[in-house]
Amino acid sequence: MRARPFIAIMGNPWVSGATALALTGLVAAASLWLGGFDPLAAFASLVRGSLGSPGAFLSITLVRAVPLILTGLAVGVAFRAGVWNIGAEGQLYAGAVAAVWAGLHFGTLPAALLVPLVLCASALGGVIWILVPAFLRIRMGVGEVITTILMNFLGIHLAAWMVRGPLQEPRGIFPQTESIPLSAQLPVLFPGTRLHLGFPLAMGLAVLAWGFYRWTVAGFRASAVGASEEVARVAGAMDVNRVLTGTFLASGALAGLAGGVEVAGVTFALYEGLSPGWGYTAIAVALLAGLHPLGIVGAGVLFGALEGGAGAMQRNAGIPSAWVSAVEAMVILSLLAVGVASRSRTAGPPTTANESGGIVAGTGGSDEDPGHA
Amino acid sequence: MTTPPAARLGNITKSFGRFPALSGASLEVRSGEIHGLLGENGAGKSTLLSIFGGRLRPDAGSLEIRGTRTEFGTPGDAAAQGIGMVHQHFALVPAFTVLENLALGYRSSRSRWTLPIPDLRDRAARLQAETGLRVPLEASVERLGVGDRQRVEILKALLIDPSIILLDEPTAVLAPSEVDTLFGLLDRLRAQGRAIVLVAHKLDEILGVVDRVTVLRRGRTVLTAGRDEVDGPALVRAMVGEGPVADPAVPDIPRPRGGRVPPGEVVVSLEGAPTSGLNGPLEIRRGEIVGIAGIEGNGQGSLAMALAGRSRPPGTRVRLPAHLGFIPQDRTRSGLAGSMSLVENLALALHRDPAYRTSRPGLPSLLRWSALRERAGELMERYGVSGPGLDAPVAALSGGNQQRVVVAREMALARDVLVAENPTRGLDVASTTFVHQQIQSLSSTGDRPPGVVLISTDLDEIMALAHRIFTIVRGSLREVPRDARSREEIGGLMLSGVEAV
Repeated sequence: MRARPFIAIMGNPWVSGATALALTGLVAAASLWLGGFDPLAAFASLVRGSLGSPGAFLSITLVRAVPLILTGLAVGVAFRAGVWNIGAEGQLYAGAVAAVWAGLHFGTLPAALLVPLVLCASALGGVIWILVPAFLRIRMGVGEVITTILMNFLGIHLAAWMVRGPLQEPRGIFPQTESIPLSAQLPVLFPGTRLHLGFPLAMGLAVLAWGFYRWTVAGFRASAVGASEEVARVAGAMDVNRVLTGTFLASGALAGLAGGVEVAGVTFALYEGLSPGWGYTAIAVALLAGLHPLGIVGAGVLFGALEGGAGAMQRNAGIPSAWVSAVEAMVILSLLAVGVASRSRTAGPPTTANESGGIVAGTGGSDEDPGHA
Repeated sequence: MTTPPAARLGNITKSFGRFPALSGASLEVRSGEIHGLLGENGAGKSTLLSIFGGRLRPDAGSLEIRGTRTEFGTPGDAAAQGIGMVHQHFALVPAFTVLENLALGYRSSRSRWTLPIPDLRDRAARLQAETGLRVPLEASVERLGVGDRQRVEILKALLIDPSIILLDEPTAVLAPSEVDTLFGLLDRLRAQGRAIVLVAHKLDEILGVVDRVTVLRRGRTVLTAGRDEVDGPALVRAMVGEGPVADPAVPDIPRPRGGRVPPGEVVVSLEGAPTSGLNGPLEIRRGEIVGIAGIEGNGQGSLAMALAGRSRPPGTRVRLPAHLGFIPQDRTRSGLAGSMSLVENLALALHRDPAYRTSRPGLPSLLRWSALRERAGELMERYGVSGPGLDAPVAALSGGNQQRVVVAREMALARDVLVAENPTRGLDVASTTFVHQQIQSLSSTGDRPPGVVLISTDLDEIMALAHRIFTIVRGSLREVPRDARSREEIGGLMLSGVEAV
C-alpha cells in the first residue's frame, strides 16, 4: 500500500556516509574535468568562498545551513518513523507565508512576543500543509509520497499568489511582501555577520531530537513504527496511528519553521523563489546523515558550504553554480550505490529488508545502538 | 501394469534451512484419474506440488514422466513436459486483463516479438467452449471474484494442453456451489485422459471425486490407496497418526491428564461470536494450558489477536489481565523488527513496564536502557540465545534463536496469561522441544502461574501440552469432550467440523 521507492540497508552510517562523499568527490571532479575545468582550482575557490574566512563561514555557510538543517530534521523525523514526507518544500513555503502574515499583522507587538509568535505561526503553517497528506495516509491509506509532493506545488503557488495578491507590498509593483518590522526579525548573533538566532535554534532542535530518539519512550515508539508497523502493532501493542500522527505533525512543523526562520532571519520579506529547493535538498541531507539528528546538523553545514561556495566558484573559476545542484544529487546517488554495495556484501535474510524498507535506511535503531550502554 | 503412470515422484526430500519439509515423499499419478493428495497442515503437500510443478528444486529424489526418467527443472520445463499448475495463491497480475494474464508465460508459435493476444483470444474462446469456464476475457482480474480468478488460473494451466494438472487447494477459496462446478470440470478433464492431482485438507469434500489418494504426514508418504480401499476414519488416522506415537517432533514430557484442570482464578474470558458453540464464555484459568486446534485459516489469527488484546473484532468481548505475553505466529513479520537490536526488540514489549522507564511530572517518560540491557542479557542467557550480541540486529540471528528471543520476551511478560499461536512452526526438533518445555514450566511453576492459550495447527503439540482442548472451525470454537481426546476424534473435528467423517 505504501510506496517505497528504493530500499537500501547500510552498515555503519559513518562509513557509508564517508564513502559516499568520497565517491561524490571523484565523480564531481571527473565531471569538471570533462567540462574543461580544473577540478582543483574549482574546489579551492569553492572552499575559499564557503570556509575561507570567518565572515564567509558565519555569514554564508552557516546562514545557508539553517534552513537545510531544519528541513533536514523534518525529513529525518518523518523517515525514521516510516513516513515518507517529500513535501518539506511546500511546508516551508506555507510556514514562510504564515510567518510574514504574523509579522505584518501583529507588527506592533514587542520583539519578545512577536519573534516567538512569528516562529510559532510558521510551524503552524507547516502543520496545516501536512494535514491533508497525514489524513489521507492515516485514515484512507493513501501513500504520502505522492500527496506530499503534490502539496509542494500548492505551497509554492500559494506563496506566488500571496505576493501578488493578499500580501503584496502596498505599492503593488513588485511581486513580494512588505518587510516585516524589526521587532519580528531574528537578532544577529555576532555584529558584522548575518548569522542569526535561527542557527542556535536549529542546533537546539537537533539536540532535542537526538535526545528524544535516544532516551524517550515516545522516541522509541517512533523508531519502532519506522522499523516495522506490523511489529510495533503486534509485538509492541502500540497505537501506530497515534505515532504516525505525531510524526506527521512534528515533521510539518519543522519544515514550516524553516520557512519562518528564513523569512525572519534573512529575507524579512516573502517573494517567489524564496527557497532554491531546500525541501528537496533536505532529503539528501537527512539520508547522508543516516537520519541521525546530530548528523543532520553536520550534513546541513556541508551542503550549506557547497551552496554558499557556489557563488564564489562561479565568479572565480567560471563554473555555473547550478553544478552544485548536480553535486547534491550525486550525493544521493552515491549513498544508494554504497548502500547497495554494502547490502550485497552483508546479505541478510530477505525478509528483514522488506520489513524495514526505507528509502535509504540507516534507520531503526542500529545507528544509535552503541549509545545504549 | 502395461502403461507407465503419467508421473512418478520417488523419495523426495527437501529442507528449508534446518527445517525438513519433505523427507521421503512419493507420489504416483495415472492418466485419467483424479488423485487426492491429503495431509495435515505442514505435512508437505504444497512443497511436493511445487516440486512437481518446477517451482522448487528438491534436495534429492527422482522424477519419471510417462515412464521416462527426467530431471527436475523450472516451471517452463514442467510446462514443456505437459504439467500445468493451478496455484493456491493465484499467480495473476491484478491490473492485467484476463487475456493479458493468459499471455504471461505463453509462447506463441507465430511471433517471438509481438504479444500473442489475437492468437490467444481464439484459443481461450475455444477452451472456454470446451470446458464451460466462462470468464470475461477483457475484464481486468482485480474486478473478478475469487471463483473467477481461479477459473482464469485453470484456463491458464489448460492453455498448454497439459497431460497432468496440479491443483493446490483449489476448494479453499470457493463457495460450495462453485466447488461442485469445479468438480464437474475436473470430471470432464479426467474423461479426456488427463491426470489430475488435487490437494485438499477438507476430507469429506474431495472423497466423492477422487479415484485414488496419497496421504502425507510430516513430509513422508504414509498411504497410497484406491478410493474404495479406504474409508474416512482410516484416512484421518493416516493423516494425524495413530495413538501416542513417540514422534521426534514432540518431546517426551509428562502428559497432562485430560480434563483434570488445575484450579485457579479466571484470567481471561472471551464472549461473542467465536464462543457461540460453547455453553458460556471461553475462560482461561491460572495454571492451565488451553489448546485450540484447527486447520489453518479457520479464524485462528483473529482469535489470537483478540485474546492478546491487539484488536477488538466486532461482537466479541474480551476481559484481559494486566500482564499478558503474546507469541504471534509469524515472528519475522510481526514478532521481531529485524533491523532493530536485540535490546530494542526486548524494549518493544517491555517499554510499557514501569520498571523500565523513568517518569517525572512534566517531562516525557524515559526508557531505562541500562535496565533493559541487563534484563536482555539475563534472558538471553536463561533461554540460551546465541548470536552476535545484544546490539546486533536480530535479523542476524538464526530462525530458532529468533523464536527463542520472542519466547523469552513474551514469557517474561506473561505473569497472568500467555497467548501463543503456532509457537513452534518452522523450528527444528531441539528448538521445538525447548519451547514446549518452557510453556509447560511456565504454567506449572510458582504460586500464581499464568494461564496459557496454545493455538496450533499441530495436533500433536496440542495433545502433548493442553489440559483442555477446543477445536476451531470457521471461527467457531467447540470444546472436545474429555472422553474424546484421541487423534482421530479431534482430527475429525478439525477437518470437517462434524464428528463423523
